[in-house]
Amino acid sequence: MKIRHLVWLRRTLQGCFLLLFLYLVIESRLPQDVYIDYSLAFSGQQDLRLGQPVTFFFQLDPLVGLTSLLSGYTLVKGFVWAAGILVLTVLLGRVFCGFICPFGTVHHAVGTFKPALKGGRMLQANHKVPSQKVKYSILVLLSVAAVFGLNAAGLVDPIAFLFRSLALAVLPGLGTALRSLFEAMAASDIKFLNLASYAAEVIVSPVFGYNPPAYQTGWFIGLLFLVILFLNRIRPRFWCRTLCPLGALLGIFSRISILNLEKYAEKCTECNLCLKHCQGAASPRPDQEWEAAECLMCFNCQNVCPEDALAFRFAWRPARNHQADIGKRAVLTGLAAGISFPFLARLDGRIDKVSDPRLIRPPGALAETQFLELCQRCGLCMKACPTNVINPALAEAGIAGFWTPRLIMTLGYCEYTCTLCGSVCPTGAIREITAREKVEQPIKIGSAYIDRGRCLPWSGNAPCIVCQEVCPTSPKAIFLKEDVVVTADKKTLKVQLPYVDLKGCVGCGICENKCPVRGLPAIRTIAAGESRSLRNQILL
Amino acid sequence: MNFDKPVTRRESIKKLVKLWGGLSLAGAFTASVTAPVRAQTASADKKFLIEGIGQTDGYSVTELTRKVFERAGGVGRFISKGDVVVIKPNLSWARRPEMAATTNPEVLKAVVELCQEAGAKKVRIADNTINDARRCFALSGAGAIARSTGADLIHPRSSLMKNMNLKGRSLDTWPVFVPLVEADAVINLPVAKHHSLSSLTVGMKNWIGGVGGSRWSLHQDIHQSIVDLATFFQPTVTLIDAIRIMTRNGPSGGSTSYVTAKNTLILSNDPVAGDAQAALLFGRSPEKLGFIRLARDQGLGTSDFQTLAQQRVVL
Repeated sequence: MKIRHLVWLRRTLQGCFLLLFLYLVIESRLPQDVYIDYSLAFSGQQDLRLGQPVTFFFQLDPLVGLTSLLSGYTLVKGFVWAAGILVLTVLLGRVFCGFICPFGTVHHAVGTFKPALKGGRMLQANHKVPSQKVKYSILVLLSVAAVFGLNAAGLVDPIAFLFRSLALAVLPGLGTALRSLFEAMAASDIKFLNLASYAAEVIVSPVFGYNPPAYQTGWFIGLLFLVILFLNRIRPRFWCRTLCPLGALLGIFSRISILNLEKYAEKCTECNLCLKHCQGAASPRPDQEWEAAECLMCFNCQNVCPEDALAFRFAWRPARNHQADIGKRAVLTGLAAGISFPFLARLDGRIDKVSDPRLIRPPGALAETQFLELCQRCGLCMKACPTNVINPALAEAGIAGFWTPRLIMTLGYCEYTCTLCGSVCPTGAIREITAREKVEQPIKIGSAYIDRGRCLPWSGNAPCIVCQEVCPTSPKAIFLKEDVVVTADKKTLKVQLPYVDLKGCVGCGICENKCPVRGLPAIRTIAAGESRSLRNQILL
Repeated sequence: MNFDKPVTRRESIKKLVKLWGGLSLAGAFTASVTAPVRAQTASADKKFLIEGIGQTDGYSVTELTRKVFERAGGVGRFISKGDVVVIKPNLSWARRPEMAATTNPEVLKAVVELCQEAGAKKVRIADNTINDARRCFALSGAGAIARSTGADLIHPRSSLMKNMNLKGRSLDTWPVFVPLVEADAVINLPVAKHHSLSSLTVGMKNWIGGVGGSRWSLHQDIHQSIVDLATFFQPTVTLIDAIRIMTRNGPSGGSTSYVTAKNTLILSNDPVAGDAQAALLFGRSPEKLGFIRLARDQGLGTSDFQTLAQQRVVL
């Protein structure tokens, strides 16, 4: 195969994988036209599931597999794919970074279509720099922290990072923008625009839905995404070279790769074209030692070399400089941070002493310690949730649980027979459960309590039974007692006072969500009583 | 198209809802130029109530639905050729049909097909659900019906909610689910269920699913709210599904132990009479239900069956 063709193959695959990734992000939701077979609906044997393998890229990701193994002693579903990537890396180097990684492709595209640096400054930026060791530090930190029970890999794992950014910031942001546009069109006096707004809403609904979701810290997720993209203006593929822990892991695994860059110094005219086009700052120039662990296998150097002074060749003996340039300091820094962070993160007492009452985890979530060992904070459950109740946590789960899923009942509620979040969790931090299990065990995520001072009938303001009406359990966990209250104008009012039966309450939060007392609802849900915890219980 | 002429919001909605239906079907535009013609309102003059009962084992619900309409003089009595028909079932909850929290899918399917056979240009199924609409449509069977019959299942959303003045005694301006008002004929297709505040939810209360906004506050004056909504939405005809009724833990239920088979359908163009008849199935006296009394007093209909042309179909 000619090198030119190989480069085009790379570009094609990069494009395909990026498109596949985008497609899977978009497909991570119940489709607008989800119709299941009527007979199946009748028998109740089938749970609603997504049609596409939305966790595919997480299965491909060795960092997800490794940290889950180190912290949770768990082999994640589809880990064979990640193992395959490792084998591929051992043989061919970081081809994942060059050919597959959608986040890498995004950076590659940003740097290529709009290069920020010209001429000598680009050459300068493409020299290998010591700061490229930072990623090894991050990798060591994440692995060691994972061993000590804090799996924070998802914060910086490229797949989780990109998924979270797209699903929780980019798509909802675009959706909100489009919605404002459609609203403006619908409000205009031009008939054609009116018509177009309705049609356009239907056309974009498969991607954006009809109501753009809201996410706590969504703005921050989006801002961070923009910052990381902006870093490409300082150095091309800044993220991949300097920060990406997955790149570091694959770099380490590439040390015995049999695909080597052979250099023919005698042919080199020192035109520096190879250096100018190098994506990984891997020292491609024939007068330098090739850094296999930094090379993103983009094959640009060979492609642009006018003198054929560079060529990738299969050789059974590894090249001299295959060993990743990690450095003792990077390792020690990573170790020190990796050992201290898991314990520092527990100083707020959220794990050991008392958890935040608002920390309601999705149904099927493992007990908190195990949950934090596996959760990648990727946002898949949040994207898939049909009611938008699952949100990235800010401080509710402590610093260790930043961006882990947490239910905000004023934004949505947990549908009684919905088990979608567990079915899409890439690592099993949320177990895949069936609707039958959820209802019959039952799997409780918390419990509701009534704020009598705010409750309409309790406070003598009006009759209301909404919480009881919407309560999905049978028998209802909210029951009513008829009573007579005295209103402000000294009249008697016949009301039905709601009470919560803690035994039956599953904490789904629909009562809080539908409560007509806006702002702070008169019935609220707290995590106490959740099935996953032995300690966080109210009743004997 | 004349772009200079200002268009009222209401007019544009009317156009757009039509356009939307066409798009959702096959991407084909079905532009309508003629002004909608109201279905024969003659039916409204002569009040009737028809009760269909399936007594034999293994009777066909579809057959019963057809027979009930036949006895009323055929669907053609309510729908003209080329009409846009909207059916308002109760699909509030993501529950399976056997829980009787939602309209029986067999009845819904039969009604859709009857409308199509009567020459309806477009049949829409619309309800502003309480649980997530996608899950409600899937689990209640309405989604499968829309797919197999080609009816439009309209996803409730804020762009289809328009503030309208209901001119009720308790309710004034509320966001109304427009597909339910922009149609030539409206068929109310509720399921008969227990309700913890209003005692029962049948036909008139079904219209709570026709509005959006903070509709949970409607419960503070539930009976008047029901009557105000029923007055605003006046359907062409109401078919009450009492094949299975939920007798306890309503309106969401959740167990088949609350469900009793009554194998009954009630078709009436008098919304009050229909609900009153359904109340009898629950062993309730219609006179004791607040919203029926209020509706009768406000002249929405009668709870006195003797004044109606009453008929019975037994299968």
